[in-house]
Amino acid sequence: MSDEAHTLPSGYPNPLPRPKGELERLEAVWAPPTGIRILTAVNNTYIGLFYVGAALLFFVLAGILALLMRVQLAVPGNDFISQGTYNQLFTMHGTVMMFLFAVPVVEAIGILLLPQMQAARDLPFPRLGAFAFWTYLIGGLFFFGSLFFGLAPDGGWFMYPPLTSTEYSPAENADFWLVGIGFIEISAIAGAIEIIVGILRTRAPGMTLDKLPIFAWSMLVFAGMIVFAFPAVILATFLLELERAFAWPFFIPEFGGDPLLWQHLFWFFGHPEVYIIFLPAAGMVSMIVPTMCGVPLVGYRLIVVALVATGFFSFGLWVHHMFATGIPSLSLAFFSAASMAVAVPSGIQVFAWIATIASGRLRFTVPSLFILGFLAIFVIGGLTGVMVALVPFDWQAHDTFFIVAHLHYVLFGGMVFPLFAAIYYWVPAVGRKPLSERLGRWSFWLMFVGFNVTFFPMHILGLMGMPRRVYTYPENLGWDGINLLSTLGAFMIATGVLVCLIDLARNFRFTPSENAGNVWQAGTLDWLPTDVYGNRSIPIVTSREPLRDDPKLSKDVEAGRYFLPGTATGKRETLITSAIDALPQAILQVPGPSWRSFFAAVFTAAFFLLLTVKLVWPAIACGIAALVAMIAWLWQTDPGRNHAPVDIGGGIKVPVYLTGPASHSWWAMVVLLLVAASMFIALVFSYLYLWTVSPDVWPATTGEHLPAAHWPFISAAALLLASLAVALSGRMLAAGAKIGPWPLRAGLAAASAVLAVGWLLDLCGVWQTGLRPDDSSYAALVYTFIVIEGLLVASAIVMALFTIARSIAGLLTPIRRVTFDNTMLLWHYAVAQGLIGLLIVHGFPRIAG
Amino acid sequence: METLQSTMHPAGTDAAAIAQLSWVLFVGGGLVFAVVMGLTAIASLGAERRRRFLSERKFIVIAGAILPAIVLTALLVYGLTLTGTRIAIAEADALRIEVTGEQWWWRVRYPDSGGDIITANEIRIPADRPIELTLLSADVIHSFWVPNLAGKIDMIPGTVNRLTLRATQPGEYRGQCAEFCGGPHALMAFHVVALEPAAFDIWLAAQREPAASPETALQQEGADLFVASGCGGCHSIRGTAAIGTIGPDLTHVGGRLTIAAATLPADAASFARWIRDNQYIKPNNLMPPFGTLSDDELAALGAYLEHLK
Amino acid sequence: MPRRSPRKKLKDRIRPRLKEGAAWFGIFIAAMIVGGFLFTWSGLYSVAATSGHWPGFGLFLEFGMRSSVRTHTIGIAVPPLHDAALIERGAGHFQEGCMPCHGAPGRAPNPIAHETLPEAPDLVASVPTWEPEELFWIIKQGLKYTGMPGWAAQQRDDEIWAVVAFLRQLPALDAGEYQALASLDVRDQAVSDEVLAQSGPPGVGLATCSRCHGLDGQARASGAYPRLDIQTSEYLFAQLAAYDDGTRQSGIMAPIVAEFDEAELRQLADYYAASGVAAADDADAASESESDPAVLEIGRALVIEGLPDEGIPACISCHGDNPAARSPLYPALAGQHASYIAQQLMLFRSGARRATPAAEIMAVIAERLTPAQIDAVSAYLSGLQPGAMSETAP
Repeated sequence: MSDEAHTLPSGYPNPLPRPKGELERLEAVWAPPTGIRILTAVNNTYIGLFYVGAALLFFVLAGILALLMRVQLAVPGNDFISQGTYNQLFTMHGTVMMFLFAVPVVEAIGILLLPQMQAARDLPFPRLGAFAFWTYLIGGLFFFGSLFFGLAPDGGWFMYPPLTSTEYSPAENADFWLVGIGFIEISAIAGAIEIIVGILRTRAPGMTLDKLPIFAWSMLVFAGMIVFAFPAVILATFLLELERAFAWPFFIPEFGGDPLLWQHLFWFFGHPEVYIIFLPAAGMVSMIVPTMCGVPLVGYRLIVVALVATGFFSFGLWVHHMFATGIPSLSLAFFSAASMAVAVPSGIQVFAWIATIASGRLRFTVPSLFILGFLAIFVIGGLTGVMVALVPFDWQAHDTFFIVAHLHYVLFGGMVFPLFAAIYYWVPAVGRKPLSERLGRWSFWLMFVGFNVTFFPMHILGLMGMPRRVYTYPENLGWDGINLLSTLGAFMIATGVLVCLIDLARNFRFTPSENAGNVWQAGTLDWLPTDVYGNRSIPIVTSREPLRDDPKLSKDVEAGRYFLPGTATGKRETLITSAIDALPQAILQVPGPSWRSFFAAVFTAAFFLLLTVKLVWPAIACGIAALVAMIAWLWQTDPGRNHAPVDIGGGIKVPVYLTGPASHSWWAMVVLLLVAASMFIALVFSYLYLWTVSPDVWPATTGEHLPAAHWPFISAAALLLASLAVALSGRMLAAGAKIGPWPLRAGLAAASAVLAVGWLLDLCGVWQTGLRPDDSSYAALVYTFIVIEGLLVASAIVMALFTIARSIAGLLTPIRRVTFDNTMLLWHYAVAQGLIGLLIVHGFPRIAG
Repeated sequence: METLQSTMHPAGTDAAAIAQLSWVLFVGGGLVFAVVMGLTAIASLGAERRRRFLSERKFIVIAGAILPAIVLTALLVYGLTLTGTRIAIAEADALRIEVTGEQWWWRVRYPDSGGDIITANEIRIPADRPIELTLLSADVIHSFWVPNLAGKIDMIPGTVNRLTLRATQPGEYRGQCAEFCGGPHALMAFHVVALEPAAFDIWLAAQREPAASPETALQQEGADLFVASGCGGCHSIRGTAAIGTIGPDLTHVGGRLTIAAATLPADAASFARWIRDNQYIKPNNLMPPFGTLSDDELAALGAYLEHLK
Repeated sequence: MPRRSPRKKLKDRIRPRLKEGAAWFGIFIAAMIVGGFLFTWSGLYSVAATSGHWPGFGLFLEFGMRSSVRTHTIGIAVPPLHDAALIERGAGHFQEGCMPCHGAPGRAPNPIAHETLPEAPDLVASVPTWEPEELFWIIKQGLKYTGMPGWAAQQRDDEIWAVVAFLRQLPALDAGEYQALASLDVRDQAVSDEVLAQSGPPGVGLATCSRCHGLDGQARASGAYPRLDIQTSEYLFAQLAAYDDGTRQSGIMAPIVAEFDEAELRQLADYYAASGVAAADDADAASESESDPAVLEIGRALVIEGLPDEGIPACISCHGDNPAARSPLYPALAGQHASYIAQQLMLFRSGARRATPAAEIMAVIAERLTPAQIDAVSAYLSGLQPGAMSETAP
């Protein structure tokens, strides 16, 4: 196994003509499944397309909910919709738009386009992508279906307790939100991991980070933000569900909880969420503008800096959603400043686009129109954003229609308009012909005018004192006319969207092979000729806009002159390159169509949904089925059998298998651990936060409930021992034939036992003090630490057993050891987190006193 | 009246300051928007030489980073100076009022005004005197907001929030719950009535008095029905057997502008409608509907309650 | 190849036979249908109850009936059935609603019942052959083509279980025990006859009412039935009227009320309202000693002060002692039997009793009570002397 990077050849890597049958073999390997087996498709083009389609479906559905609300608000004292239904409508509109449309659709476009932009044949984890999509689609549809049974959540998309606690929302509506959204977020995270590794490890040779298309940059930041932001809200939903189901009082003041904890956790996710949605859209704009102006992007580096800076800042201003909660003015000042600072990177991007337009000649195509519309709307959204970042102004504007207007200018203007630009721009890359310019212009003008007619008046409504989330209003406050106007606008937008859908229905014909091609004379690799296998050969990238700088590139790529013109191992493959300078490192055999990931998704979704409606036993059955499907799926991931290094052209021989830090799965595991870590940090924050709020429920005051010191020490020792055992097993694996496989298997088994014991000891230690999770927020947190560590320990043990099984099946060798390496990574992390947990649970109360 | 609940018709010191800030923001924002759109227009349609400057990197840095940084810093400082004013502790002569948000109405107490004055859904204050509001919640999160007087601040279970405001001129102002609190959140409003100090003192004195006793036979019948129907289980009428604390105190309900958190006017007919049809008028509110009462009985109750000025 | 050929042959041999068989089968079915219709149309079959069933056919129907009941009772949870009040409540209804056809210990069924087909079974013999949930289902749903009716108030499973509870005891009862369970005041028949005689037209009604509520309206201490002596005539009549128009559901009361016209109902209401005055002093309320003082204190607090933080007003604010200062639609509660109060509060809470305007009010409040609070309130109220609620008020 060699993972040292190779230097790139100067000439063409592969000679012409290509041997007979090479292309046919390539096509055969990548042939998409047909008929019902289309469900098993995992290739990024197919999954990406399904994904975009599903996301647009939810966009339309949530839009219909918005129309219903607008009808209700058209006139004062209207009784078109009942109060209860209206509360469900605005909750679902927000939730579906945010969780089932905005984030998924950009993730979908990433999955669809990133490999093409990087001339990769597929993403590194196709089945993970498929899994993420199917869980999302099934879960999403059921979640939306709850509306038809009056079971839809009705506590607002922000789900503030105590309104959403059992006392004030005894029905299952809230659980649908908590469980449903909880696991849709998990699928988003799966997609993010896929995207990060895909961008960093499967770029075309020579595509160094400073040649990376801006869209890929934005998706990298996007995925990174998901990794750090989503765990916070997953933890929040977990805590609230624990409170609802088992009365663990995290948010109930009488027990030392605090409703504001939810708001901190929620907005720590919720604010970055806005940029998670906006950045990829900005990335698309940065791809489309240069093409439409026929010049390279001006200020590429500035934009990259801006993207990263935005991602960074966006984590520092969640409190600006809480200016009206009466928190201390000092923190107000800090968050106000941060909220304004984040405007600067956006400013840089706006002017970079203007500069690009100025440096070329803008063609007024439909995509250009949507981009210009986006500029106008987004600038207004940005300006009102600065306004609400000012604490005093926010005290008036907060939770009024001014905010409704602002957030739609930012999200609809900043994300939906670029999205429609993107649809009109990229359809030729996956369809037989472009969409209609005529219908496109109609669609644009209807949406643009409709949007401003709908939302601009809402600024005034808000200033005239109309609060959000009201299902009706009295007529003597001067709100009538404006509301009617904005209702009319809403239907204009709907018509615009409808026109676009008609256009798609009439002119979009998906094809993996005979797409319309580079109709815009774009310069990036996503416009290379493609087929079911992606590009015929994988080019050497020497500039940011290779197609513009090397007119012959398309022909050469299609002729197969570049890397990997056929299939080297007779399987689906893509090229693994080094993260920074993108030099070929290895061939990655990517899995093909499979029912396993599909059923894993179906049963996972079923598990969560059945749990929501309290059908425990069927849920458990589905959970087990899901687990089985996943293990069956994972069993295939590392196909086994060593394949000799293969020639990809240019005299470069690369291995077909990488282990350790060079392996793509190692990277994925590291990202996953980052997710776990940020969730743990959120938990630690919750612990410290509640301590500052109500120290009186901590042992120092209550004076009991702290296990004797020897408990944590023994349990810590056990954890360390477990880690040591796994490390040793690693040695034994390396030793290989000399000692045989049994020491390794025994080592893993022993380690598992010790790990389990270590965790159990901690649990017993706490339990025997008589502390119970429903005693107080402190107690609840202590047990939450144990529960979350328990989940880690459990999965570590499952993976250990899986590794043993593979070893017994002869699929684990000193060389093919990825399964073991990943287990080891998770293992050490579980131990590390366990130790920190022990330190906090047992140490903090002792020092904090 | 269109100015009854509007941030742009300030009648309080805080609101005035914020309204001023708002105008600065709107004008400034308008200018920035115009400039950016102008530049975009030039960039896409303008002549070659005009566009050359726009296409340079230093233009991006100046227009996109430096200028905004300066403007925003200035704004921030301006904003923070205003932020300070609200957080400042109330002056000594401030009148203390305690307001509790409940699903879906407002309980109002005047703690140190001699006798425990409790009213609901209406806050009477003296004009030109600082008012220190203690804001509490009895159940979920609500938000106290009187746009004409000051910015909003949440009422959070387990936390005590304070807000000081000052009405610069006498008048009626409408406030509304600004944090979604479930069910009929839309129907949780109230009025602030700023009075001349003298008038306020008279009102306060009247509030200390127990409820007016019935004068007409009809009112008497209403009073008896009030007891017989068990209204006293949830409502208080000081000076009678009714000592309930679950719902609004009705001692002087007839003297208020509205009932049911600014949902209906406080007249006999509305009382009658509310008592029987409250679940239709304000779905899910916590009061049971009294379909047991005949129209005549409702009329009697209405007459009695309206009489409680 | 050679291995596959014989199987092929086999197939070829079988296929035509199959076709043939299918054809004949079709013809047979068609013949059955046509024949069956002709036979029915001819009217040769006698539907006379007296003619009985063809030998064995009765057994077959019995088999079908038992199977159906077995299958339809899957998953029905059986509540505890040993509570004395529950058994007495069932007994009271049995006498009125079941005995006429099924008979009872010491009471032969009405001869008419002998002539039904199937004949109403002697429950002493047949009850042990059924599971409780099966009895529940039969009583609730009734049985097609047997004359066994379904329960008159489908929302009142609690009443049906009461009948089941009684039926479980039935086989072991002798005539005396049955009498004691099924009707009060059998002990001094003389007294009751006298009262019935002198109370004129309502006497007939009293004969029925008194079996459960007693002539003095105090019913049984067990709380199987509510005390009526503590209520006003208006309240009692309102309830009877509600039973009559179905706004208050009861499979026990509805059939009884149906036997009387409005005037008689008013007289009955007046009679019991009047009986209260006399009865008030010698009322033997359940002694407090049996209930845990902590529970009683919770009950007292709820009755006198309510629980404002949970939106629960004090009972006394509506159900005070003075009838003049109480809506005629609100009952008096002091001294009412605990088991009855608790049962009704659970009905309010579950929404089974909220059809009348007054019930609507109570339902809103009952929804805010926990079962524990309901038991506490019931225990406390039943421990009070009638009209003594306000004495405990501060």
